[in-house]
Amino acid sequence: MKNKIQELYALEQLSGGNTCVHRLHPMVKLLTTVFFIVIVVSFDRYAFGRLIPYIFYPTLLMALSETPHSMLLKRFLIALPFCLFAGIANIIFDRVSAFTIGSIVVSYGIVSFSTILFKTYLCVMAVLVLVSVTPLSEITISMRRLRMPYIFIILFEMTYRYIGVLFEEAYSMYIAYSLRSTNRKGIEMRDMGSFVGQLLLRSFDRADRVYNAMKCRGYALNSLPQSDRKLSQGDFVFCALTCFLYMAFRFVNVNALFAEILGGLN
Amino acid sequence: MLKLQNISVSYPDKTEAIANLSFTLNDGDNIALIGANGAGKTSLLLAIVGILEPAKGIVEIDGIQLNKKTVNEIRKCIGVVFQNPDDQLFMPLIYDDIAFGCRNFGLTEEVITARVAQTLNQLNISHLRNRSSLKLSGGEKRMAAIATVLAMEPSVLMFDEPTAFLDPKARRVLIEALKQLPHTKIIATHDMTFAAEVCNRVIVLKDGCVVTDGAVTLLHDKKIMENCGLEAIVNL
Repeated sequence: MKNKIQELYALEQLSGGNTCVHRLHPMVKLLTTVFFIVIVVSFDRYAFGRLIPYIFYPTLLMALSETPHSMLLKRFLIALPFCLFAGIANIIFDRVSAFTIGSIVVSYGIVSFSTILFKTYLCVMAVLVLVSVTPLSEITISMRRLRMPYIFIILFEMTYRYIGVLFEEAYSMYIAYSLRSTNRKGIEMRDMGSFVGQLLLRSFDRADRVYNAMKCRGYALNSLPQSDRKLSQGDFVFCALTCFLYMAFRFVNVNALFAEILGGLN
Repeated sequence: MLKLQNISVSYPDKTEAIANLSFTLNDGDNIALIGANGAGKTSLLLAIVGILEPAKGIVEIDGIQLNKKTVNEIRKCIGVVFQNPDDQLFMPLIYDDIAFGCRNFGLTEEVITARVAQTLNQLNISHLRNRSSLKLSGGEKRMAAIATVLAMEPSVLMFDEPTAFLDPKARRVLIEALKQLPHTKIIATHDMTFAAEVCNRVIVLKDGCVVTDGAVTLLHDKKIMENCGLEAIVNL
Protein backbone atom coordinates (compact mmCIF):
# COMPACT_ATOMS: atom_id res chain seq x y z
CA MET A 1 0.00 0.00 0.00
CA LYS A 2 2.79 2.35 0.93
CA ASN A 3 4.30 1.64 -2.47
CA LYS A 4 1.01 2.58 -4.12
CA ILE A 5 0.97 5.89 -2.27
CA GLN A 6 4.62 6.34 -3.12
CA GLU A 7 3.74 5.76 -6.78
CA LEU A 8 1.06 8.37 -6.51
CA TYR A 9 3.60 11.00 -5.55
CA ALA A 10 6.42 9.64 -7.73
CA LEU A 11 5.66 12.18 -10.43
CA GLU A 12 6.04 15.08 -8.05
CA GLN A 13 9.32 13.67 -6.81
CA LEU A 14 10.68 14.14 -10.33
CA SER A 15 10.12 17.86 -9.90
CA GLY A 16 13.26 18.07 -7.78
CA GLY A 17 15.43 17.62 -10.91
CA ASN A 18 17.89 20.14 -12.24
CA THR A 19 17.43 20.23 -16.01
CA CYS A 20 16.86 23.40 -18.02
CA VAL A 21 13.10 22.79 -17.90
CA HIS A 22 13.14 22.35 -14.12
CA ARG A 23 15.03 25.63 -13.79
CA LEU A 24 12.41 27.63 -15.71
CA HIS A 25 10.31 29.99 -13.60
CA PRO A 26 7.18 28.15 -12.35
CA MET A 27 4.95 31.03 -13.43
CA VAL A 28 6.23 30.72 -17.01
CA LYS A 29 5.62 26.97 -17.03
CA LEU A 30 2.13 27.41 -15.62
CA LEU A 31 1.17 30.14 -18.08
CA THR A 32 2.51 28.33 -21.14
CA THR A 33 0.68 25.16 -20.09
CA VAL A 34 -2.61 26.99 -19.59
CA PHE A 35 -2.18 28.78 -22.92
CA PHE A 36 -1.35 25.47 -24.60
CA ILE A 37 -4.55 23.90 -23.26
CA VAL A 38 -6.68 26.87 -24.32
CA ILE A 39 -5.25 26.77 -27.86
CA VAL A 40 -5.65 22.98 -28.19
CA VAL A 41 -9.23 23.08 -26.94
CA SER A 42 -10.08 25.92 -29.35
CA PHE A 43 -9.78 23.65 -32.41
CA ASP A 44 -13.01 22.24 -33.83
CA ARG A 45 -13.87 18.57 -33.56
CA TYR A 46 -12.72 17.59 -37.05
CA ALA A 47 -9.32 19.30 -36.85
CA PHE A 48 -7.35 16.17 -35.99
CA GLY A 49 -4.57 16.89 -38.50
CA ARG A 50 -4.18 20.48 -37.34
CA LEU A 51 -3.46 19.26 -33.78
CA ILE A 52 -0.54 17.01 -34.74
CA PRO A 53 2.14 19.75 -34.63
CA TYR A 54 1.21 20.47 -31.00
CA ILE A 55 2.73 17.21 -29.93
CA PHE A 56 6.04 19.07 -29.99
CA TYR A 57 5.34 20.76 -26.63
CA PRO A 58 4.89 17.77 -24.28
CA THR A 59 7.40 15.65 -26.22
CA LEU A 60 10.13 18.29 -26.21
CA LEU A 61 9.61 19.10 -22.55
CA MET A 62 9.65 15.42 -21.61
CA ALA A 63 12.91 14.91 -23.51
CA LEU A 64 14.57 18.02 -22.07
CA SER A 65 13.46 17.30 -18.52
CA GLU A 66 14.39 13.60 -18.77
CA THR A 67 10.89 12.64 -17.64
CA PRO A 68 10.10 8.98 -18.44
CA HIS A 69 7.31 8.86 -21.03
CA SER A 70 5.98 5.55 -19.70
CA MET A 71 5.32 7.07 -16.29
CA LEU A 72 3.22 9.87 -17.80
CA LEU A 73 1.50 7.49 -20.19
CA LYS A 74 0.37 5.30 -17.28
CA ARG A 75 -1.25 8.31 -15.67
CA PHE A 76 -2.82 9.36 -18.96
CA LEU A 77 -4.53 5.97 -19.09
CA ILE A 78 -6.48 6.96 -15.97
CA ALA A 79 -8.06 9.82 -17.94
CA LEU A 80 -8.67 7.64 -21.01
CA PRO A 81 -12.04 6.11 -20.04
CA PHE A 82 -13.53 9.59 -19.53
CA CYS A 83 -12.67 10.76 -23.04
CA LEU A 84 -13.66 7.38 -24.51
CA PHE A 85 -17.12 7.78 -23.03
CA ALA A 86 -17.29 11.39 -24.16
CA GLY A 87 -16.36 10.54 -27.73
CA ILE A 88 -17.98 7.16 -28.36
CA ALA A 89 -21.37 8.68 -29.23
CA ASN A 90 -19.75 10.55 -32.15
CA ILE A 91 -18.90 7.25 -33.85
CA ILE A 92 -22.46 6.02 -33.48
CA PHE A 93 -24.35 9.14 -34.53
CA ASP A 94 -22.03 10.87 -37.00
CA ARG A 95 -21.72 8.34 -39.80
CA VAL A 96 -21.26 10.62 -42.80
CA SER A 97 -18.20 9.62 -44.78
CA ALA A 98 -15.29 11.99 -44.42
CA PHE A 99 -12.70 10.21 -46.57
CA THR A 100 -11.54 6.73 -47.50
CA ILE A 101 -8.25 5.01 -46.83
CA GLY A 102 -8.01 2.33 -49.50
CA SER A 103 -11.35 0.62 -49.23
CA ILE A 104 -11.99 1.68 -45.62
CA VAL A 105 -14.50 4.48 -45.20
CA VAL A 106 -13.66 6.86 -42.38
CA SER A 107 -16.69 8.71 -41.01
CA TYR A 108 -16.74 12.17 -39.50
CA GLY A 109 -17.65 10.43 -36.23
CA ILE A 110 -14.36 8.57 -36.19
CA VAL A 111 -12.48 11.77 -37.02
CA SER A 112 -14.16 13.69 -34.18
CA PHE A 113 -13.64 10.75 -31.81
CA SER A 114 -9.93 10.70 -32.67
CA THR A 115 -9.76 14.47 -32.20
CA ILE A 116 -11.27 14.22 -28.70
CA LEU A 117 -8.85 11.46 -27.83
CA PHE A 118 -5.86 13.39 -29.15
CA LYS A 119 -6.91 16.65 -27.50
CA THR A 120 -7.21 14.80 -24.18
CA TYR A 121 -3.79 13.25 -24.70
CA LEU A 122 -2.19 16.63 -25.39
CA CYS A 123 -3.87 18.44 -22.50
CA VAL A 124 -3.32 15.70 -19.92
CA MET A 125 0.30 15.26 -21.00
CA ALA A 126 0.92 19.01 -20.78
CA VAL A 127 -0.41 19.05 -17.20
CA LEU A 128 1.53 15.93 -16.24
CA VAL A 129 4.74 17.39 -17.63
CA LEU A 130 4.08 20.59 -15.66
CA VAL A 131 3.66 18.60 -12.42
CA SER A 132 6.75 16.52 -13.09
CA VAL A 133 8.99 19.54 -13.63
CA THR A 134 7.53 21.96 -11.07
CA PRO A 135 7.02 21.33 -7.33
CA LEU A 136 3.34 21.55 -6.42
CA SER A 137 4.04 24.24 -3.83
CA GLU A 138 5.52 26.46 -6.57
CA ILE A 139 2.56 25.83 -8.86
CA THR A 140 0.13 26.89 -6.14
CA ILE A 141 2.24 29.95 -5.28
CA SER A 142 2.13 30.93 -8.96
CA MET A 143 -1.64 30.40 -8.97
CA ARG A 144 -1.93 32.66 -5.95
CA ARG A 145 0.23 35.28 -7.68
CA LEU A 146 -2.12 35.12 -10.66
CA ARG A 147 -4.92 36.02 -8.21
CA MET A 148 -6.82 32.80 -8.80
CA PRO A 149 -9.63 32.31 -6.25
CA TYR A 150 -8.29 31.05 -2.91
CA ILE A 151 -11.02 28.48 -2.60
CA PHE A 152 -9.99 26.92 -5.91
CA ILE A 153 -6.31 26.82 -4.92
CA ILE A 154 -6.93 25.34 -1.47
CA LEU A 155 -9.23 22.71 -2.95
CA PHE A 156 -6.59 21.83 -5.51
CA GLU A 157 -3.78 21.68 -2.94
CA MET A 158 -5.73 19.82 -0.27
CA THR A 159 -7.24 17.29 -2.68
CA TYR A 160 -3.78 16.45 -3.94
CA ARG A 161 -2.30 16.18 -0.45
CA TYR A 162 -5.22 14.22 1.01
CA ILE A 163 -5.41 11.52 -1.65
CA GLY A 164 -2.54 9.77 0.14
CA VAL A 165 -4.13 10.39 3.55
CA LEU A 166 -7.40 8.89 2.29
CA PHE A 167 -5.59 5.83 0.92
CA GLU A 168 -3.74 5.30 4.20
CA GLU A 169 -6.89 5.59 6.30
CA ALA A 170 -8.82 3.28 3.96
CA TYR A 171 -6.02 0.73 4.06
CA SER A 172 -5.68 0.63 7.85
CA MET A 173 -9.49 0.37 8.19
CA TYR A 174 -9.59 -2.40 5.62
CA ILE A 175 -6.87 -4.36 7.45
CA ALA A 176 -8.74 -3.98 10.75
CA TYR A 177 -11.96 -5.09 9.01
CA SER A 178 -10.50 -8.09 7.24
CA LEU A 179 -8.76 -9.34 10.42
CA ARG A 180 -12.16 -9.58 12.07
CA SER A 181 -14.07 -11.04 9.12
CA THR A 182 -12.75 -14.53 8.45
CA ASN A 183 -13.31 -16.26 5.10
CA ARG A 184 -14.57 -13.10 3.46
CA LYS A 185 -13.02 -11.19 0.63
CA GLY A 186 -13.55 -7.47 0.35
CA ILE A 187 -16.12 -5.53 2.31
CA GLU A 188 -19.67 -6.84 2.70
CA MET A 189 -22.32 -4.62 1.14
CA ARG A 190 -24.12 -4.28 4.47
CA ASP A 191 -20.93 -2.90 6.08
CA MET A 192 -20.08 -0.62 3.20
CA GLY A 193 -22.20 2.32 4.42
CA SER A 194 -20.61 2.50 7.84
CA PHE A 195 -17.15 1.78 6.38
CA VAL A 196 -17.35 4.68 3.93
CA GLY A 197 -18.93 6.93 6.55
CA GLN A 198 -16.18 6.15 9.05
CA LEU A 199 -13.55 6.64 6.37
CA LEU A 200 -14.94 10.08 5.59
CA LEU A 201 -14.98 11.09 9.26
CA ARG A 202 -11.49 9.74 9.91
CA SER A 203 -10.08 11.40 6.80
CA PHE A 204 -11.74 14.65 7.82
CA ASP A 205 -10.16 14.39 11.25
CA ARG A 206 -6.74 13.56 9.84
CA ALA A 207 -6.99 16.32 7.24
CA ASP A 208 -7.75 18.74 10.04
CA ARG A 209 -4.61 17.68 11.91
CA VAL A 210 -2.46 18.02 8.78
CA TYR A 211 -3.91 21.48 8.15
CA ASN A 212 -3.14 22.46 11.77
CA ALA A 213 0.45 21.32 11.28
CA MET A 214 0.63 23.46 8.14
CA LYS A 215 -0.76 26.51 9.95
CA CYS A 216 1.75 26.05 12.77
CA ARG A 217 4.48 26.43 10.19
CA GLY A 218 3.17 29.70 8.87
CA TYR A 219 0.79 28.48 6.15
CA ALA A 220 -1.85 31.13 5.63
CA LEU A 221 -4.14 31.36 2.65
CA ASN A 222 -4.40 35.09 2.62
CA SER A 223 -0.69 35.81 2.79
CA LEU A 224 1.46 35.22 -0.21
CA PRO A 225 4.84 33.57 0.45
CA GLN A 226 7.63 35.81 -0.78
CA SER A 227 9.82 34.46 -3.52
CA ASP A 228 13.29 35.51 -4.48
CA ARG A 229 12.99 33.96 -7.93
CA LYS A 230 13.08 36.52 -10.69
CA LEU A 231 12.17 35.97 -14.32
CA SER A 232 15.32 35.39 -16.32
CA GLN A 233 16.07 36.04 -19.98
CA GLY A 234 15.68 32.30 -20.62
CA ASP A 235 12.18 32.40 -19.14
CA PHE A 236 11.17 35.19 -21.51
CA VAL A 237 12.67 33.40 -24.51
CA PHE A 238 10.92 30.13 -23.62
CA CYS A 239 7.59 31.87 -23.08
CA ALA A 240 7.81 33.92 -26.29
CA LEU A 241 8.95 30.98 -28.40
CA THR A 242 6.33 28.51 -27.23
CA CYS A 243 3.51 31.05 -27.45
CA PHE A 244 4.65 32.05 -30.94
CA LEU A 245 4.62 28.42 -32.05
CA TYR A 246 1.18 27.78 -30.52
CA MET A 247 -0.21 30.80 -32.38
CA ALA A 248 1.57 29.93 -35.61
CA PHE A 249 0.16 26.38 -35.55
CA ARG A 250 -3.26 27.80 -34.71
CA PHE A 251 -3.48 30.32 -37.54
CA VAL A 252 -1.31 28.65 -40.18
CA ASN A 253 -2.28 25.23 -41.49
CA VAL A 254 1.15 23.66 -41.16
CA ASN A 255 0.03 20.38 -42.74
CA ALA A 256 -1.29 22.14 -45.86
CA LEU A 257 1.89 24.23 -45.99
CA PHE A 258 4.05 21.10 -45.89
CA ALA A 259 1.88 19.45 -48.54
CA GLU A 260 2.27 22.53 -50.74
CA ILE A 261 6.04 22.58 -50.26
CA LEU A 262 6.32 18.88 -50.96
CA GLY A 263 4.03 19.28 -54.00
CA GLY A 264 6.24 22.10 -55.26
CA LEU A 265 9.33 19.92 -54.85
CA ASN A 266 7.71 17.13 -56.89
CA MET B 1 9.22 34.93 28.25
CA LEU B 2 6.05 32.87 27.59
CA LYS B 3 3.18 33.96 29.77
CA LEU B 4 -0.24 32.36 30.00
CA GLN B 5 -2.80 34.20 32.02
CA ASN B 6 -6.24 32.78 32.88
CA ILE B 7 -6.52 30.81 29.65
CA SER B 8 -9.83 29.05 29.03
CA VAL B 9 -10.54 26.97 25.97
CA SER B 10 -13.86 25.37 25.08
CA TYR B 11 -14.76 22.95 22.31
CA PRO B 12 -17.64 23.81 19.97
CA ASP B 13 -19.92 21.57 22.07
CA LYS B 14 -19.14 23.90 25.02
CA THR B 15 -17.03 21.28 26.85
CA GLU B 16 -14.30 23.13 28.69
CA ALA B 17 -10.89 21.77 27.70
CA ILE B 18 -8.87 24.25 29.76
CA ALA B 19 -10.13 26.37 32.61
CA ASN B 20 -8.41 29.50 33.94
CA LEU B 21 -4.93 28.16 33.42
CA SER B 22 -1.93 30.36 34.15
CA PHE B 23 1.81 29.85 34.18
CA THR B 24 4.98 31.56 33.08
CA LEU B 25 7.80 29.97 31.22
CA ASN B 26 11.30 31.42 31.53
CA ASP B 27 14.13 31.19 29.03
CA GLY B 28 15.74 27.76 29.10
CA ASP B 29 12.90 26.12 31.02
CA ASN B 30 12.08 22.56 30.03
CA ILE B 31 8.55 21.93 31.18
CA ALA B 32 6.85 18.56 31.25
CA LEU B 33 3.11 18.95 30.86
CA ILE B 34 1.67 15.80 32.29
CA GLY B 35 -1.83 14.58 32.85
CA ALA B 36 -4.16 11.71 32.05
CA ASN B 37 -5.92 11.37 28.68
CA GLY B 38 -8.31 14.28 28.21
CA ALA B 39 -6.57 16.44 30.82
CA GLY B 40 -6.13 19.21 28.24
CA LYS B 41 -2.45 18.87 27.32
CA THR B 42 -2.88 18.92 23.53
CA SER B 43 -5.60 21.57 23.73
CA LEU B 44 -3.26 23.78 25.70
CA LEU B 45 -0.47 23.40 23.13
CA LEU B 46 -2.90 24.21 20.30
CA ALA B 47 -4.26 27.21 22.19
CA ILE B 48 -0.78 28.64 22.72
CA VAL B 49 -0.22 28.84 18.94
CA GLY B 50 -3.76 30.01 18.20
CA ILE B 51 -5.02 26.87 16.50
CA LEU B 52 -7.66 26.65 19.22
CA GLU B 53 -8.91 30.10 20.04
CA PRO B 54 -8.92 30.77 23.79
CA ALA B 55 -12.37 31.86 25.00
CA LYS B 56 -10.60 34.16 27.44
CA GLY B 57 -7.16 34.87 28.81
CA ILE B 58 -3.87 36.10 27.45
CA VAL B 59 -1.03 34.28 25.72
CA GLU B 60 2.10 36.40 25.48
CA ILE B 61 5.54 35.56 24.15
CA ASP B 62 8.43 38.05 24.24
CA GLY B 63 5.90 40.83 24.78
CA ILE B 64 3.75 39.85 21.79
CA GLN B 65 0.16 39.07 22.71
CA LEU B 66 -1.64 36.36 20.74
CA ASN B 67 -4.41 37.72 18.56
CA LYS B 68 -5.49 37.40 14.93
CA LYS B 69 -2.92 39.95 13.76
CA THR B 70 0.03 38.47 15.63
CA VAL B 71 -0.76 34.78 15.18
CA ASN B 72 1.84 34.30 12.43
CA GLU B 73 4.50 36.08 14.47
CA ILE B 74 3.69 33.84 17.45
CA ARG B 75 3.90 30.71 15.27
CA LYS B 76 7.31 31.86 14.09
CA CYS B 77 8.48 31.99 17.71
CA ILE B 78 6.91 28.71 18.82
CA GLY B 79 7.46 25.45 16.98
CA VAL B 80 5.00 22.60 17.53
CA VAL B 81 5.92 18.96 16.99
CA PHE B 82 2.71 16.97 16.71
CA GLN B 83 2.03 13.58 18.27
CA ASN B 84 1.81 11.76 14.96
CA PRO B 85 4.72 12.66 12.66
CA ASP B 86 2.61 11.59 9.67
CA ASP B 87 0.47 14.68 10.27
CA GLN B 88 3.55 16.85 9.99
CA LEU B 89 5.26 15.27 6.99
CA PHE B 90 3.09 15.90 3.96
CA MET B 91 5.52 16.96 1.23
CA PRO B 92 7.09 14.59 -1.31
CA LEU B 93 10.58 14.87 0.16
CA ILE B 94 11.90 15.50 3.66
CA TYR B 95 13.80 18.49 2.26
CA ASP B 96 10.52 20.09 1.14
CA ASP B 97 8.92 19.36 4.47
CA ILE B 98 11.73 21.08 6.34
CA ALA B 99 11.71 23.98 3.89
CA PHE B 100 7.91 24.38 4.07
CA GLY B 101 7.83 26.63 7.15
CA CYS B 102 10.82 28.71 6.02
CA ARG B 103 9.17 29.33 2.66
CA ASN B 104 5.95 30.44 4.32
CA PHE B 105 7.93 32.89 6.44
CA GLY B 106 9.41 34.40 3.28
CA LEU B 107 13.05 33.29 3.52
CA THR B 108 15.13 33.18 0.35
CA GLU B 109 15.95 29.82 -1.24
CA GLU B 110 19.63 30.33 -0.39
CA VAL B 111 18.87 30.78 3.31
CA ILE B 112 16.37 27.89 3.24
CA THR B 113 18.92 25.50 1.73
CA ALA B 114 21.47 26.46 4.39
CA ARG B 115 18.95 26.11 7.21
CA VAL B 116 17.75 22.72 6.02
CA ALA B 117 21.34 21.47 5.81
CA GLN B 118 22.17 22.85 9.25
CA THR B 119 19.05 21.32 10.83
CA LEU B 120 19.65 17.93 9.24
CA ASN B 121 23.24 18.00 10.51
CA GLN B 122 22.20 19.04 13.98
CA LEU B 123 19.89 16.04 14.27
CA ASN B 124 22.25 13.66 12.43
CA ILE B 125 19.71 12.88 9.73
CA SER B 126 21.41 14.33 6.66
CA HIS B 127 20.86 11.01 4.88
CA LEU B 128 17.11 11.61 4.96
CA ARG B 129 17.29 14.83 2.93
CA ASN B 130 15.98 13.43 -0.33
CA ARG B 131 13.86 10.61 1.08
CA SER B 132 10.10 10.38 1.15
CA SER B 133 8.46 10.24 4.58
CA LEU B 134 6.56 7.16 3.40
CA LYS B 135 9.76 5.16 3.52
CA LEU B 136 11.01 6.17 6.97
CA SER B 137 10.92 4.31 10.27
CA GLY B 138 9.02 5.71 13.26
CA GLY B 139 12.20 7.10 14.81
CA GLU B 140 13.35 8.71 11.57
CA LYS B 141 9.92 10.26 11.05
CA ARG B 142 10.02 11.72 14.55
CA MET B 143 13.45 13.28 13.96
CA ALA B 144 12.32 14.62 10.57
CA ALA B 145 9.22 16.13 12.20
CA ILE B 146 11.43 17.88 14.75
CA ALA B 147 13.65 19.13 11.91
CA THR B 148 10.63 20.71 10.16
CA VAL B 149 10.15 22.88 13.23
CA LEU B 150 13.81 23.53 14.12
CA ALA B 151 14.51 24.97 10.67
CA MET B 152 12.16 27.85 11.49
CA GLU B 153 14.50 28.73 14.38
CA PRO B 154 11.80 29.18 17.01
CA SER B 155 12.68 30.23 20.54
CA VAL B 156 10.19 27.82 22.14
CA LEU B 157 9.60 24.21 21.15
CA MET B 158 6.43 22.34 22.05
CA PHE B 159 6.16 18.57 21.75
CA ASP B 160 2.99 16.52 21.95
CA GLU B 161 3.73 13.00 23.17
CA PRO B 162 7.18 12.87 21.52
CA THR B 163 7.90 9.30 22.60
CA ALA B 164 4.71 7.88 21.07
CA PHE B 165 5.40 5.25 18.36
CA LEU B 166 9.09 4.96 19.32
CA ASP B 167 11.06 1.85 20.24
CA PRO B 168 13.56 2.09 23.15
CA LYS B 169 16.50 2.84 20.87
CA ALA B 170 14.70 5.58 18.97
CA ARG B 171 13.43 6.92 22.30
CA ARG B 172 17.00 7.13 23.57
CA VAL B 173 18.13 8.93 20.41
CA LEU B 174 15.28 11.39 20.88
CA ILE B 175 16.16 12.01 24.53
CA GLU B 176 19.79 12.75 23.64
CA ALA B 177 18.70 15.02 20.78
CA LEU B 178 16.30 16.97 23.00
CA LYS B 179 18.95 17.38 25.68
CA GLN B 180 21.23 18.95 23.08
CA LEU B 181 18.64 21.52 21.99
CA PRO B 182 19.12 24.79 23.86
CA HIS B 183 15.53 25.91 23.24
CA THR B 184 12.88 26.47 25.88
CA LYS B 185 10.63 23.41 25.72
CA ILE B 186 7.12 22.39 26.68
CA ILE B 187 6.66 18.65 26.45
CA ALA B 188 3.22 17.09 26.82
CA THR B 189 3.79 13.48 27.76
CA HIS B 190 2.65 10.41 29.66
CA ASP B 191 6.17 9.07 29.73
CA MET B 192 7.30 9.89 33.26
CA THR B 193 10.87 8.64 33.03
CA PHE B 194 11.31 10.57 29.79
CA ALA B 195 9.96 13.71 31.48
CA ALA B 196 12.28 13.19 34.43
CA GLU B 197 15.29 12.89 32.15
CA VAL B 198 14.60 15.80 29.81
CA CYS B 199 12.72 18.36 31.91
CA ASN B 200 13.53 20.52 34.90
CA ARG B 201 9.99 21.50 35.79
CA VAL B 202 6.64 19.69 35.84
CA ILE B 203 3.12 21.01 35.45
CA VAL B 204 0.43 18.48 36.28
CA LEU B 205 -2.95 18.96 34.61
CA LYS B 206 -6.29 17.50 35.56
CA ASP B 207 -9.57 18.36 33.84
CA GLY B 208 -8.01 21.39 32.20
CA CYS B 209 -6.66 22.88 35.43
CA VAL B 210 -3.16 23.01 36.91
CA VAL B 211 -3.01 20.67 39.90
CA THR B 212 0.58 21.39 40.76
CA ASP B 213 3.65 23.06 39.31
CA GLY B 214 7.12 22.26 40.55
CA ALA B 215 10.37 20.39 40.23
CA VAL B 216 10.67 16.98 38.55
CA THR B 217 10.70 15.34 41.97
CA LEU B 218 6.91 15.68 41.75
CA LEU B 219 6.98 12.76 39.35
CA HIS B 220 7.88 10.54 42.32
CA ASP B 221 4.92 11.74 44.38
CA LYS B 222 2.57 8.77 44.38
CA LYS B 223 -0.36 10.64 45.89
CA ILE B 224 -0.41 13.49 43.36
CA MET B 225 0.19 11.20 40.41
CA GLU B 226 -2.54 8.75 41.35
CA ASN B 227 -4.94 11.59 42.04
CA CYS B 228 -4.40 12.73 38.44
CA GLY B 229 -4.78 9.27 36.93
CA LEU B 230 -1.04 8.80 36.48
CA GLU B 231 1.63 6.51 37.84
CA ALA B 232 4.52 7.88 39.87
CA ILE B 233 8.07 6.86 39.05
CA VAL B 234 9.08 4.10 41.41
CA ASN B 235 12.49 4.43 43.00
CA LEU B 236 14.29 1.11 42.78
